[in-house]
Amino acid sequence: MSSARRGRLLPYILLSPLVVFIGALSFVPTADTTVEAFFRVMPLNPPTQFTGLGNFRALFANPAITTSWVNTAVYVVVGVVLSVILGTAMALALRQKFRFRGIVLALVILPWALPAVVEAVIWNWIYNPTFGVMNSALHSAHLIGGYHVWLGLDRWLTVVLIEIVQVWQITPLSAVVILAALQSISPDLYEAARVDGAGPVQSFVRISLPLIRPALAVCTVEALVLSLNIFDQVYILNGIAPLGSSVMLQTYVQTFEDLNFGSGYALSLLITLATALLSMAALALFYRRSEATS
Amino acid sequence: MTTGEQTAGVMTQVAQGLAGRGPTRRTVKVAGRVITLVVILLWSLFPVYWALNTSLSTLSGADSKPAHYLPSPLSGTSYRDILGIGGAGSGVATQIGRSLLNSAIESGAAMILTVTIAVFAAYAFARLNFKFKRTIFVSVLATLLLPAYATLIPLYRIMASLGLVNTYLAVILVYTSGFLPLAIWILYNYFNSIPRELEEAAFVDGATPVRALVRVIIPVARPGIAAAAIIAFLLGWAQFLFPLILTTDLSTQPVTVIVAALNEQRIVPFTLLMGCGVIAAAIPGIVALVLNRYIVQGMTAGSIK
Repeated sequence: MSSARRGRLLPYILLSPLVVFIGALSFVPTADTTVEAFFRVMPLNPPTQFTGLGNFRALFANPAITTSWVNTAVYVVVGVVLSVILGTAMALALRQKFRFRGIVLALVILPWALPAVVEAVIWNWIYNPTFGVMNSALHSAHLIGGYHVWLGLDRWLTVVLIEIVQVWQITPLSAVVILAALQSISPDLYEAARVDGAGPVQSFVRISLPLIRPALAVCTVEALVLSLNIFDQVYILNGIAPLGSSVMLQTYVQTFEDLNFGSGYALSLLITLATALLSMAALALFYRRSEATS
Repeated sequence: MTTGEQTAGVMTQVAQGLAGRGPTRRTVKVAGRVITLVVILLWSLFPVYWALNTSLSTLSGADSKPAHYLPSPLSGTSYRDILGIGGAGSGVATQIGRSLLNSAIESGAAMILTVTIAVFAAYAFARLNFKFKRTIFVSVLATLLLPAYATLIPLYRIMASLGLVNTYLAVILVYTSGFLPLAIWILYNYFNSIPRELEEAAFVDGATPVRALVRVIIPVARPGIAAAAIIAFLLGWAQFLFPLILTTDLSTQPVTVIVAALNEQRIVPFTLLMGCGVIAAAIPGIVALVLNRYIVQGMTAGSIK
């Protein structure tokens, strides 16, 4: 083989393991999900047959599934809003240099690095109705009269408390990304604004906010995808009960507990489409706004 | 100004305030900053502290109203039980020990495979010109936004049809396919930040692109490679849903699946459960604290443009 030809082939040789992996384990499965969603697939109860929209119709007739869709919407709204606001607040607090900032930053990242399941088990103990520290602390502060059962009774309280566990894990990511964006803004801009008489709030709204918009877009999409996918925290803190369940949890239950694979495929397809559309909508929104301001 | 000085400043001002003089605007500002930092640290660390606190208590100390904020009495019983010293909880000892080994093998192997494949691919994307480059690059990165939903059931069925359910191989292959897009994104950005003149000198000396990659780029890109590797390892260690369906017994179940199973039994005391949680979180926790600058670098790769 001539060296020129080897040179032309080289990129494809370097890429071949990647293409095989992504092709066989991402693209083929995604295509498979798309097709099988329209089939009746029950491994223990053959045959596999085309049902058209049969799986989708059955899903929307199932109250446990509709509950999980509404819950997931709440998980997403709470997750995106809280993680972006808290992440921005943390980034602003960590922006100025001070001694030990490196250590503080390392400690702030910790929740992001730990397994979500382990975190959920810890929070389950914090929320414990009999000996949980949340009850104890709120009681000592006279904020509640007696100990409460926090999870599994009230639907919205359960969903919000579970999402807080996820927010605790994903906020460091937003904080770090927004912090990097804040640090890339030239100090001259703030100095000029100060000379013109702008206060801290005004310079945040007029200078920081427009310039960290791309970072906010990244954080929003990350939080959106992660909270649409919420599973580990729900599995531990809610179990498979419908009350606080998410779409991902129902996908797992339909497929691996009820062994109705067709139904699981249909749910997967719907949530994949929802994820794609919502992430693109979020990006488009941020993009258009930053165009308008520039 | 440093935190130490700030704290000292706050103290003086508070003392002056007590002595009858009102606090100045600067004091309020500094006090506000210190309080903000304390709140951020409490929020970030309290749950971790709480797990440690409970795991170091006796059962009667942990099950108390109101809660004890320090282990009282301080006790190593849960860790002795988890480690199987003294007989009690030896079932837990076997489970935790073996599942930690499984976690290390699965996330370690996935990390090595991911980074190896990603280094060559990212180099091709960053430095070489070829047909369909943009199409392949965009398609690979698009899978970053693909939720686990899209591939969960087919991946299970693929592994089942290959007879790979409950093997390390299935877990490692699935992890690798999931982590590759992010690793490529991190490395692609890092390679692009390296000046091309570095390799050009090597090309003048007659080196091939592969030689330039191995001899010039890889040594310079070590921090970027470390960032990709550490993030892949942490993601692997944290996996739960995929191993939940791909592993069926202790021969391959990672520690996340075991901790969830112990939690589900509802009979494991919270002191023991928190001890298991601390052990399961110890390795990623230490990695995050010691190597955090690589993590920050990986997290922010390409996000500011």
